Amino acid sequence: MVSPRSPIQNALQAAGAVFGEHSGVTAVTDFGAPIGEAAAARRLGLADLSPLPRVGFRGPGARDWLTAQGVELPDEPNQARTQTDGAIAITRSWTEVLVLGRIQEADSLCARLAAGAADAHCARAYSLPRFDGMFWFALTGASAADCLAKLCGVDMREPAFPVGSVAQTSLARLNAVIVHVDVGEAPLFHLLGDSASADYAWTSLLDAMQEFGGRPVGLRVLHALAREFK
Amino acid sequence: MRERLSPPAGSRIDRSRPVAFEFEGRAFTGYAGDTIASALAANGAWCLSRSFKLHRPRGSFGFAGDEAGALVQLESEPNVQADTRAVEPGLRVQAQNTVGGLERDQAALLGRFERFLPVGFYYKAFYKPRGVWNWWEKIIRRTAGLGRVDRSWTPEYFDKAYAHCDVAVIGGGAAGLAAAAACGDQGLDVLLIEREPELGGWLTYGRRKSADRTLDDLRRRVQALTSVRVMTSATCTGWYADNWLAVSQGNRLHKVRARAVIACTGGTSQPAVFRNNDLPGIVSAAAAQRLIRHYGVRPGLRAVVLTTGDEGYAAALDLAEHGTDVAAVVDCRPDPPAGPMASQAEARGHRILSGHTVREARRDSQRLQIGGVLVTRVTGPGACAADGEELDCDLLVVAAGVAPAGGLLAQAGAKFRPSGRGAVPRLESLPAHAYAAGVAAGASTVEEALAQGEQAGLAAAADLSGSAAAAPAIAARPAAAEPTVSWPVFPHPDGHEFVDLDEDVTVREIEDALAEGYEDIELLKRYSTVGMGPSQGRLSAIATAAVTAAAQDSTAAAVGATTNRPPSVPTRFGLFAGRGFQPVRHTPMQGWHVDAGAQMMTAGLWMRPAYYGPPEKRADAIADEVLAVRRAVGLIDVSTLGGFEIRGPDALEFLERAYTPSFRRLRVGRTRYALLTDEQGVVVDDGVAARQGPDHYYVTASTSGAEQLYPLLLWYQAQWQLDVDIADVTSAYGAINIAGPQARRVLEKLGIDIGLSPEACPYLAARTGKLAGVDVRLLRIGFVGELGYEIHPPASQSLGLWQALIDAGRDYGIRPFGVEAQRVLRLEKGHVIVTQDTDGLTHPHEVDLGWALGRRKPFFVGKRSIEILREKGLSRRLVGYAVPDRRAAVPDEGHLVVRDGEITGRVTSSAWSPVLDQAIGLAYVAPDQAEVGSVITIKAARGRLVEAEVVRLPFYDPENLRQAI
Repeated sequence: MVSPRSPIQNALQAAGAVFGEHSGVTAVTDFGAPIGEAAAARRLGLADLSPLPRVGFRGPGARDWLTAQGVELPDEPNQARTQTDGAIAITRSWTEVLVLGRIQEADSLCARLAAGAADAHCARAYSLPRFDGMFWFALTGASAADCLAKLCGVDMREPAFPVGSVAQTSLARLNAVIVHVDVGEAPLFHLLGDSASADYAWTSLLDAMQEFGGRPVGLRVLHALAREFK
Repeated sequence: MRERLSPPAGSRIDRSRPVAFEFEGRAFTGYAGDTIASALAANGAWCLSRSFKLHRPRGSFGFAGDEAGALVQLESEPNVQADTRAVEPGLRVQAQNTVGGLERDQAALLGRFERFLPVGFYYKAFYKPRGVWNWWEKIIRRTAGLGRVDRSWTPEYFDKAYAHCDVAVIGGGAAGLAAAAACGDQGLDVLLIEREPELGGWLTYGRRKSADRTLDDLRRRVQALTSVRVMTSATCTGWYADNWLAVSQGNRLHKVRARAVIACTGGTSQPAVFRNNDLPGIVSAAAAQRLIRHYGVRPGLRAVVLTTGDEGYAAALDLAEHGTDVAAVVDCRPDPPAGPMASQAEARGHRILSGHTVREARRDSQRLQIGGVLVTRVTGPGACAADGEELDCDLLVVAAGVAPAGGLLAQAGAKFRPSGRGAVPRLESLPAHAYAAGVAAGASTVEEALAQGEQAGLAAAADLSGSAAAAPAIAARPAAAEPTVSWPVFPHPDGHEFVDLDEDVTVREIEDALAEGYEDIELLKRYSTVGMGPSQGRLSAIATAAVTAAAQDSTAAAVGATTNRPPSVPTRFGLFAGRGFQPVRHTPMQGWHVDAGAQMMTAGLWMRPAYYGPPEKRADAIADEVLAVRRAVGLIDVSTLGGFEIRGPDALEFLERAYTPSFRRLRVGRTRYALLTDEQGVVVDDGVAARQGPDHYYVTASTSGAEQLYPLLLWYQAQWQLDVDIADVTSAYGAINIAGPQARRVLEKLGIDIGLSPEACPYLAARTGKLAGVDVRLLRIGFVGELGYEIHPPASQSLGLWQALIDAGRDYGIRPFGVEAQRVLRLEKGHVIVTQDTDGLTHPHEVDLGWALGRRKPFFVGKRSIEILREKGLSRRLVGYAVPDRRAAVPDEGHLVVRDGEITGRVTSSAWSPVLDQAIGLAYVAPDQAEVGSVITIKAARGRLVEAEVVRLPFYDPENLRQAI
C-alpha cells in the first residue's frame, strides 16, 4: 500500500514531528511539545496541512456545477467562503474555484466533489489535482501578517486584507494563494503553492518566523484554536 | 575620560553604563548611547581619519553621518560613520586611509605633491607610455583609502520586508511629527520614518526657550495615535516611482508602499569655505549643540563662532552656558539685523565682529586639530583682507546656513531652484501625492515647521480621501529670509579652501575645471569629483554653485544642480545583497536520490540526479547506468517534465494550432510526438501528447521548457478564445521512466491492472490503471530506445511507487540512472534535446524533424515561416557522427566543425558510448557535409583535430526493434 506523503515529509520528520490520525488522514499531531505549541500558535505557528483534502475546478461550467453540488461560492474572485461543514471555497477567478477540506473533522465535501469529476468534466468544470499539485500550510498567530510582510508584497494586515480575502501573489518569489480566515483572536492564513517547492517555502517561512519566536505546530493546536473559536 | 556636562545635557547617554573601546590602539571610555565620534570628542579626540586624496587629518563637521571625514574602520566592517554608529564594549576602531596610523600617516607626504595632482589628474596621467597603467594601478589601489574588507568575515543576516501605509512621513522632527499627527487624527495609517534613534530632530538639540514643551507635546500626541507607526534609526535612502520608498533600518531593507508621502527631511548645516576649513575641530553649530545636548560633551575650551545668521549666536550662547569660552562671534554680515539670539549674545557681552570672516584656520602645533583662526574684514563678495586678528581656539563653530535636505524629494520629481541671487535651493514644485514641510520646504522657524507639517498632513489626508484638490504645501518665502550676504566662500592665495571635504576639491580646482571647459554642472561634477563622495553634494553643492556662479558671473539658479539618485546616503551592501529568494523545485524523490548518493544538478529551478556515485567515479557510474538500461532495467525520475491537461470541446483544435503535428487521427489511448515551433518557425519545445479521452489530452513538455511553455499556451488561448481549458499539472504528477529489456517484468511483478503485452499495450500506447494500488497514467514511449514505460503517479504517492519499483526490480538488476546516462542513451538513439541540440534559429528541417510537421494542416504556429525557410534551402544540418579512431580525443559540446580553416558547424551533443565503444555525437555541419559517409573535422580541446564520420541515425538499434518488443 502506497500512502500519500506530504511534500515536506522529510523536513517534518527531521523537525521531530509526531504523526497521528487527524480528520481521517495521517498528519502531524505536534512536534513533541504540545503546550509550547499552543502558545506559539497564538504568537506565530506554521502547520503543514498538505495531507488534508483539497480540490480545484475550472472552466465555464465550474460555478454552476459546484453550486449544484451545494457549494456556497463567494460572489467575486479572490474571496473565500466558509461552508457550513467548515470547508472553504475560494474563488481564484470567475471560472476557477479551490475547495479546502475542513480541518476540524474528516472531510466529506472534497471527496464528494472529486468523485464527481467525470460529471463535472461533462459540465465543462474541469477538475484540478490540487491535493498533489499544491502544498497547504497554515500560518497562525498575532505576528502572522508581520511575518508575511517579509515574504510577500501584499499588505496582509487588517483592514487592508480582511477575513475572507484571497491574494494570489508571490510568496518568497513563489506563486502562492494566501487566504485569510477567522479562527478567533489570532489571524490565520492558509498558504498554498507549487508542491514541488514546498521544501523551499517551508524553509523560507521558518526563516522569516525566527524573529517573532515562531515555530512549526501540529494539527492538535489548530484543532484547539478552531474549537475555541466555535 | 573627561568629565561630561551635567544633565539635562547628554540626553542620549546612560552615565551608569561606561563603554570601553579602542581607537587606533588606544583605550577610550564612553557611555552607552554615545556614538564613536561623540565618545572620542568627549576625550578630546577630534581627528577620525585621513582625507581621500591628500591624506589631511579629518573629523566630523556635522556629527550627523554625512561625511567621509567620519568614516572609520571596524574589525569586520569598513566605511563606518563614526558620528552615527553607536559605540559598543570592546569595539576596536581604526582610522581609515592611513599608512602607519592616524598620527604618523606616511601617505600624508602626498600633500607635498599636490601640484602634481590637479583636478582631473587621473584623466590625464597614468596611461602613457603604453602599459604603464598596470604599474600605477597597484599603487593607486593601495593608496585609495576606502577601508579594508575582512574576507574572513562571517556574513551577518540581512533581509528585506515590505511595509504599507496611507501616508509615509520621512523625518520625525517638528514638521514630521506635526504632519504625522495631522494625518493620524484623520484616521490614516501613517508610517513615521526617523533616521535618528529618537523623534524630535532639531527640537532634541537646538536652543529652545526653557518653558518650551513643544517636543513633549508632539511626541505625546503621536504616541497616542495607534494609527501612527514610528520607525526610528531608519533611513529612507530612495524614493522611487509610485511612492515606493527604500528604508534601511539595522540589517533590514524595508520596501515601503505609501499612497502619499510627506517629506520632512530637514536641512543640512553647510560648511564655510576658507583656507584649512577642513581641520578637525571645525564643526557646524548643530554639531556643537548635538554634542552638548545629546552627549553631554563640552565641545571645546575656547571657541570662535563664524556665522551668517542668527543660528551662530544661539550656538555661542549654548557654548558659553556650558563652559566654553567664546572668544568671538564672527559675523560675515556687515550690518547684521538684531535677531533674538544676536540680541541676547550682545546683551551677555559676547565679542561680536560684524563684517568679518575667518580667512584661515591654523592647526594646533601638538594635535591633529584646529589651534586658532585668522579673522579679517570682509571686503566684498568672496573677498577678505589679508591681515587681521589671530585668535587662539580649539573649536571653530560654523553657522553658514542650512540647505534643505531635498535629495529624496528631488528623486521623486520635486523641483528646487535658488531664488534671486541666493545660492540656497528652494522648493518650487512637488509631484502628485508628495508633500513637504519644515526646513526642506523652506521653513526657518519651529513655528513655521509646525504649521507646514500640519498643513501638509491635512493636504495629504484630503488628497487620499479625494474630497478636495490638495494644494502642495509649499510656503511662500518671507522676504526677511532672503540672504543679506553672499555665500561664505573665501578663496586664498595658498589654497586649501575645500569646497568638497569628501573628495578634497578646492575652490581653485573648481575654477580650473571651469577654465578647461567643464562648465555644465553635471560635467563639472564628473571631472572634478565634487559631490561624488559619501555626502553626495549635501555639503558641497551650494558652495560649488556659488563658486561656479562667481566664475561665470552668473547666478546659482542659472548654474543649476546635479541629478539626485538613490541611494541618497551610503548604504551597506548587505542590505542589497542580503537574503534573496531563489525558489527551488524538488521532485517527490529528491530525498531518495540524495540518500542513494546521487550527484544533484540543477535543471531550471529543479534539482535532478546527474548520476549515482562519488564524483571521482563519475565516468564509471554513468557507463554502468547506461549498461543497466541496455542489458537489464533502469529507472529514472522524470518528474521534472512539464505536464499540461488540455480539456474541452476545442482541445483538439487547440493542439492542432499550437503544435506542429496533426492529432486528428490520434485515437484515445495513443500518444504522439508533439513539436512546438514559434512564429518564426524556430523549434522551442517538444513532448508527447496522450489522448486521455475524446476531448482530453495530457501533454508533456521538456524540463527546461515547461515553465515558459505554460504562459505561451495561455497566451495563444487568450488570442484564439477556444472552448478549452489548459492546466499546468507538472507538480501534481510524478513521472518515472522504467526502461530496459526487463521493464515489463518488473511492472508485472509489482502488480498492475493494465495489460502489458505488446498487443494490449503496444509502443506509443497511453493507459490509465493501478500500479501497486496507485492510480497511474502509463505512456509506452522510448526516449532511451528500450522497452520502456513512463509512469505518471500522483506526486504524493510517487516516492512510495518509486521505492516499490526499486524493490520489485531488485531481482532483475534494476538500478536508478541519472540525467547523464539518459543523455548518452538518447544520443545512441539519435534523439534531439531541444535547447541542447537546437538554438534560437533552429527550424525543424535542420534537425530532421520534417516528419513531425502536419503539412496538410491549414495552420499551426510557425507553419508559414517553416515553409519559407524550406524554400530558401538549408544552410546547415544536424547530423550524427562517430569517431572511428578510438584513441582520439572525445570532442566536447560546443567544439567547432572546421573545413579548410573555415567554421562550418559545431558539436551539440557528444559522449563516449559504452555500448558502441566509441565516441559519438550530434553536430551541425554544412549541407554538403551531411551525407552519410562524409568525413568532418572537429577542432577538439587544445586545438587537436579529430576526424569523424557522418553516420546514419540512430547509432544504436537502427531498426528500432528493442523499444517495440
